[in-house]
This record gives sequence, C-alpha cells and structure tokens, in this order.
Amino acid sequence: MLEHIPKKRRTVLKGMLATSVAAFTAPMLYVVAKYLTFTGGSGDANAVAKMSAADLTPDAPAKYVQINGEPIIVVREADNQIRAFTATCTHLGCTVSYKPVLPGSTPPMEGFYCKCHHGKYDAAGKNIKGTPPPRPLTELSFTQDGEDLVISLKPKV
Amino acid sequence: MTEESTLKPMPSANRESDLAHEHHLKQQLPYSQRLLQLLHMSEAERALKRKVVPIHKHSAWYYAGGLTLVFFAVQLITGILLLFYYQPSAEGAHKSVEMIMKEVPFGWLIRSVHAWSANALVLSMFIHMFSTFLMKSYRTPREILWITGILLFLIMLGFGFTGYLLPWDQTAYFATKVGTEVPKALPFVGDFMASLVRGSKEVTGSTLTRLFALHVGLLPLLAIILVGAHTMMTALFGSSVPVGTRVKKEVKFIPNYVLGEAVVWLVGFGVLLTVAILYPWQLGTAYDLSNPVEPPAGIHPEWYFMFLFQTLRYVPEWVAVVGFTLVLIFWTFVPWLDKRSKHHKKSPLFTWIGIVAIAYIVGLTVLAYMSVAEEQTAARAEQNAATSPEGPGIQPAPGPAPQPAPPHAK
Repeated sequence: MLEHIPKKRRTVLKGMLATSVAAFTAPMLYVVAKYLTFTGGSGDANAVAKMSAADLTPDAPAKYVQINGEPIIVVREADNQIRAFTATCTHLGCTVSYKPVLPGSTPPMEGFYCKCHHGKYDAAGKNIKGTPPPRPLTELSFTQDGEDLVISLKPKV
Repeated sequence: MTEESTLKPMPSANRESDLAHEHHLKQQLPYSQRLLQLLHMSEAERALKRKVVPIHKHSAWYYAGGLTLVFFAVQLITGILLLFYYQPSAEGAHKSVEMIMKEVPFGWLIRSVHAWSANALVLSMFIHMFSTFLMKSYRTPREILWITGILLFLIMLGFGFTGYLLPWDQTAYFATKVGTEVPKALPFVGDFMASLVRGSKEVTGSTLTRLFALHVGLLPLLAIILVGAHTMMTALFGSSVPVGTRVKKEVKFIPNYVLGEAVVWLVGFGVLLTVAILYPWQLGTAYDLSNPVEPPAGIHPEWYFMFLFQTLRYVPEWVAVVGFTLVLIFWTFVPWLDKRSKHHKKSPLFTWIGIVAIAYIVGLTVLAYMSVAEEQTAARAEQNAATSPEGPGIQPAPGPAPQPAPPHAK
C-alpha cells in the first residue's frame, strides 16, 4: 500500500501509526494491571485474634489462630511460658507446627518444624542453621487477662 | 518462485549443508513471514491478500458483522477479568459484584463495559442479521454461513439470559424466574426443560451456578468455535453482493478495507467506552432467598427480549413458545425456502418477510416499553395515594367523598 510513498515519509507514517497504537493500548493495559493487582486492601492493621490460654494443654500445647488470613501459632512451651509466632515458614511459606521434640534433634530440643522442606526453628523461633529457612519466625505481642489471650500482629519487642 | 519452493531442500548428497542452506534462507525472511511459515499459514495469508471487497450502495452494512466481532472480543476480555473476582453463589454473588464495583480499581469500568458491550453486541448482531437477510446474503453458497449465524444469534441471546442473573439482584432474580417459567408451557417436556435450567424447583443458588456454568463454560466454547467458522467462511466466500446491485469498484481487503473497518471499530469502541463511563451500569438491591419480597414495579427483561415479553401478554404461553419455535425453524431454513434468491433472482416476498419481522420486533418492543412506563406510573400513583391521608390505602371515613389521589409528584 505504501510503495508509492517515499521511504522517509513511509517511516514517519509507520511511526505515527505505532505511536497511535501505543497510545491506545497503554491506558487499557494500565486499567487491567490496576484491576488485577487488587489485594483486597491492606487488611485491618489493628485486627486481633482471641483465644483462651486454657486451650493450651500438655497434650495439645499449640494452637493456630489467624489475623487477616495470616496463620499464627500460639504455644505453651516446655518452660510453661506462652508465646505467639507467625506460623508462615520463612523458606517457602508453608505453615510450621510446634514440636516438643524436633525430629532428628540431638540432644532432643523443642521448636518449630516445617513439613514441606524439613525446616527447623528453635523454641524462640530462630531458624536453625543447616535447614532451609533463611530468617527467624516473627514473635508477636499479646496481652493476657486471666485465661483470655488477645494476640496482635505487632512484633514483640 | 514462491517462498515455499525456495525453502524446499535441494537434492544433494550433503544433508547437513542442505539444512544449513534452508536455515540461511529462513533467516533472510522477516520474522512475520517465518512465523507464518512455521504455522503453515502462508496459504491463508495469500488468500487474505487476494481477497477483495465489492463496494456498492449497500456495502456499509458489511460493517455490522465486524462490529459484532469487536464487541464479542470485548466481552471475552472483560468477562475473563470479571471472573477474577466474581463468586457464583447465592450468598457471594451480589457481594462480589458490589466489591468489583466499589473496591477493585476500575472494577466499575470493567463491569460497565461488559454490560454495555453485551447490549451493543446484540444490537449490532440484530443489524447484521437483518441486513444480511434483506440483502439475501444467505443464498448459495452461503447457506451454512447463515446457519452458523443463526446458531450464534441464539448463543448470544443465551449469553444475555444467563448473564442477567449473575449479579443476583432483585430484577435479575425475577427476570430469571419468569424466563425459566416460560418453557413450562411446553407440552410433555415443559417441566423437564424448566428443571434442567433451574437445577431445582425454584430459582435458587443451584440456578445461579447452572447459568454461570453455561455463561462462562459451554456458551463461550460454542461461540468461539462458531465465530471461528463464521469468519473463516466469510473470508472464503467473500462478501455477497445483493442481486441486481451494481458494483462500483472492488477494494483490496488487506490493507484498504481492513483500515477502513478499523476506523469503524475504533468509533464503536469509543462510543462504548464513553457510554460505559458516563452511565455506569447499576447494581440493584441484593435478592435474599430467605426473605422473599415482591418484584419491583414495571419489572421487565432486557430490551432485546421485550418483544417476546410483550407477545406473552397477548397469547397463551404455549402459543408463543410453539410460534417462535416455528418462526425460528423457518428463519434457519430460509436459504432453501427462498427459491428465487437461490437462483439469483430478486425475491420481493422475502424482503417483505424481513420487513414484517423487523416491524413486529420494533412495534412490540415499543408497546412493551409503553406498558412498562404505565405500570411504573400506576405504581407511583398507588404509592402516593397510600401515603396521602385520604387515599384508598386507608378506610374511608364517613363524610364527604374522598378526594382524588394527587397526581404523582417527582
């Protein structure tokens, strides 16, 4: 179609066409990108989870709760102290469990264990060297009123 | 020498150097050509390049088909986008559509475009179908092309019907209730048909998942296959010229006609976007199954079902169902029934049939909207009367005759 038009002018015309196509497509791609990356807001930063400390028994020393869909593990450890941690493994995101005796630990020690890739953390949530997790679990702050525990997403300081 | 023959390996004892030679030749072709070669599409490309479009006094109608195709593409894209957030359940549907409208960035726009484009698609499809009917484009060799068009017409109306319920608002609920009640009038198979569509005795969450499955699963699958066949056949047979119409000239399909058509597409898309932004599609009050309410006043289906809706006011349901089925069968087999067009003669009888069909649809649609408006006015008057102290909503007290209800105030 463009053969009869001088080459230089042809280049200009093609450039204008390409610019128009880009100007037409770019806003649509922007709209679609914004639409698809919606994550339901950042969630409620002040959201809390509630549970009873009485649920943490010697037979079942740990319990999961959730805040904004994030799993949290609350555990009564061997020293009878209650602690709360984010339960998402820092390796590839599986949910960790509490083990009074970590598998294959010598001497036997308590801690958190991730089934997916055998990741291990000690009782303070610190990742154990030589296992996959690169970072410790985050210990969370909570308040205790009698048996009532109120856990928040704020890290314990 | 054609491109294909240059690529054929030359007879040689040295296979490796042949391959190298072939590779070298391929390297010289532009990327687009190499891709076509890989896909064995060169033949199709050559056919498209050979294709010409006849220009005559009726050829503007050709744009309606392409425009329908554009709106169909818009429906596929926006439909897939809506699926990312929509939840097909009686509990979740309305909430998720509300979230799309209020929370998801540009969600209101995507939904508004989807809803408006559905209407634009049906409108351009009606124009396309009736213009091809009046131009007798269905005549030999395009009989199968016509049939695929009829099937697509039904599928698109099916999309409209199944999609209408998905937001699960009160209008949607009652429109679907009425729509699924109609097949019950059919002898023998009525109840079977109704329960097939509803998935339960009443319109419930089961109906929603069923219509959802049709709307996003079965219908798109059939539509894509048929749209493919329909456009492929159009490319193959070329545009039909009405009998006795003088062709002024022929233009090359690629690039001349396509560029002209692209302008029409852009205008169509521009109008669609403008309307979708200025008049965002609304969402009604959620329908709560556990808390039945009466339908809103002047409830009616989408405009393209209005002539059917109005017909039901005049004749018993089974007459309407049987009648429209017969009309549809007639419409489908028109290429064989219209003997004169088949032999490339003018066929005024079928022109009149087309005009009567259009007049029927337009006339009954207008009548339907008039009675809907009347009902809404009456409902408002009734409401006003009920709230006025001397209206008929309250027992008339002894004394002077009650005043006539005040005219409805806005």
